[in-house]
Amino acid sequence: MSTNAIVEELKKNISAFEKTVEVEEVGTVIEVGDGIARMNGLIKCQAQEMLEFPGGVMGVALNLEEETVGAMILGEFRGIKEGDTVKRTGRILSVPVGEQMVGRVVNALGQEIDGKGDIATKDFYPVEKIAPGVMTREPVHEPVQTGIKSIDAMVPIGRGQRELIIGDRQTGKTAIAVDAIINQKGQNMKCVYVAVGQKESKVARIVAKLEESGAMEYTTVVVAGASDPASMSFIAPYAGVAIAEYFADKGEDVLVVYDDLTKQAWAYREISLLLRRPPGREAYPGDVFYLHSRLLERACNLNKENGGGSITALPIIETQAGDLTAYIPTNVISITDGQIFLETDLFYKGIRPAVSVGFSVSRVGGAAQIKPMKKVAGKIKLAMAQFRELEAFAQFASDLDADTKKQIDLGYRITELMKQPQYSPMSVEDQVAVIFAVNNSVFDDVEVKDVAETEVKLIEFMNKTKRALLDKIKVGEWDDKIEADLKSACNEFKK
Amino acid sequence: MAKTSNKQYAEALYEVTQDLKGSDLSDAIKTFVEILVRDHKLKQGYNIIAEFERTVKKASGVVELEITSARELDKKIVEEIKQTFGKNVEAVTQVDESIIGGIKVKLEDKILDGSVKTQLKSLKQQLSN
Repeated sequence: MSTNAIVEELKKNISAFEKTVEVEEVGTVIEVGDGIARMNGLIKCQAQEMLEFPGGVMGVALNLEEETVGAMILGEFRGIKEGDTVKRTGRILSVPVGEQMVGRVVNALGQEIDGKGDIATKDFYPVEKIAPGVMTREPVHEPVQTGIKSIDAMVPIGRGQRELIIGDRQTGKTAIAVDAIINQKGQNMKCVYVAVGQKESKVARIVAKLEESGAMEYTTVVVAGASDPASMSFIAPYAGVAIAEYFADKGEDVLVVYDDLTKQAWAYREISLLLRRPPGREAYPGDVFYLHSRLLERACNLNKENGGGSITALPIIETQAGDLTAYIPTNVISITDGQIFLETDLFYKGIRPAVSVGFSVSRVGGAAQIKPMKKVAGKIKLAMAQFRELEAFAQFASDLDADTKKQIDLGYRITELMKQPQYSPMSVEDQVAVIFAVNNSVFDDVEVKDVAETEVKLIEFMNKTKRALLDKIKVGEWDDKIEADLKSACNEFKK
Repeated sequence: MAKTSNKQYAEALYEVTQDLKGSDLSDAIKTFVEILVRDHKLKQGYNIIAEFERTVKKASGVVELEITSARELDKKIVEEIKQTFGKNVEAVTQVDESIIGGIKVKLEDKILDGSVKTQLKSLKQQLSN
């Protein structure tokens, strides 16, 4: 385009511009503090409407009272003072969504914070939205491969499921979520990682890791840092799921990680108390259950008529000293379709990821596994359950009968096999091969300390010599012939 | 008991004092101040008086305007603006150079914004889309 053409275009646009007198509805700030403002005026203000404070700072109307409107301020609230004029915008709080969001780091309002320039999106989605109804959904049937052996085998996650990751601090909750995101490469998944109230350094480290492993190509990171106002932490998860809904509406599968919802509940408690809503148990307001249920209900697996997209949610909750009976953990456990429970004891014993097999469940279960995995995983689940019963007797090794001893030995080997270093997700066919091997006594005469080494060798051997077989397993084929072939491959490896 | 707002005090005072004259009026105001003391509302006095003024103006149909312009306005123009909004108009004028040109009229909870600054802003928005 030549300069003249640009000038002409501009002239055309400017002459087309109509001068209008704008009518604005305004109110006056009567009280401000700690990210909350109270205003009078604003007669026709809607609930959840965005308000504009002087200097372009936005707010959201939360409390509509007889004389006043209570709002939380999104951003810097120190410049706002009593008597300031507040304008209505007529818009409900919404975030920009679109393909351009992929690979970017944004704040809770969808504005870029990674310094890679503006995000040019056309669409806006409301932050708060009613979840899809019954008739638009269908049962969860496709797996999300996390690449973590202990999860894919024993607590499988399906597309559209909500699986809680819960545990004390420093037990590797984020590690599981990040590994799951890294493993979505080439699995037709978009990912959204929502960091709520996290240290900026931790978020920077995660983003760097995602970039390094190529996961940023399909991931959006939404950050409400520890130093951001509580209002940002409160809306960040909703902003994250709004970004995900755009892709789900287009029929794509999305994985959303909320890290973590405990901090979101804290932020909401702070805002509610400042707005003088009555406190309840643990000083949380009465609607803290609804805070999480309306968020997690937006995870869904839509049926064909509605595009067939899905949103899988992996919320994270931090417990204090393993206390699952606190208010927020019990709430979120009851909302989600299962939980992955991480234990400090296991973590320090060197069992990492520290998944507690006994307490972790997936209410979707086998429906979210490919057929070969379903076949082989049943056996080790049973073996692990028996092992847990017998583990206490392990110290009387000499007095045990052969069967019990065998069961305990197998349990130790499976436990050892379930260990997996961070950032090293394993493909589903390799997982099936390894678990099949342990079921078929390949590891029985391997010393416990050599299990990891043998596993590596087994995978190498299988990939080198039996690639065709693994490819069949990968696409979910399983019959007697494949089983027999796999068995003979195991025998071949043993020699 | 729910808290009584300044507006409610002002409205109550207005209703009570509306038809009173002379010593009855002084008595009524004395009682009102005593009520304020009882409710620990005395320090809200100024706000209640401001609210009272607003109530009186509203009741007697006076419209309050706040006219902001970039330069000092001609008396005639101010008169003209006042005429447009009705008969009983009380106007305060302000000069704010940052709006560049045009005028802004504030009317209770509404602002009629005809300033050059706002128009440039919306032109910018339109061009960048």
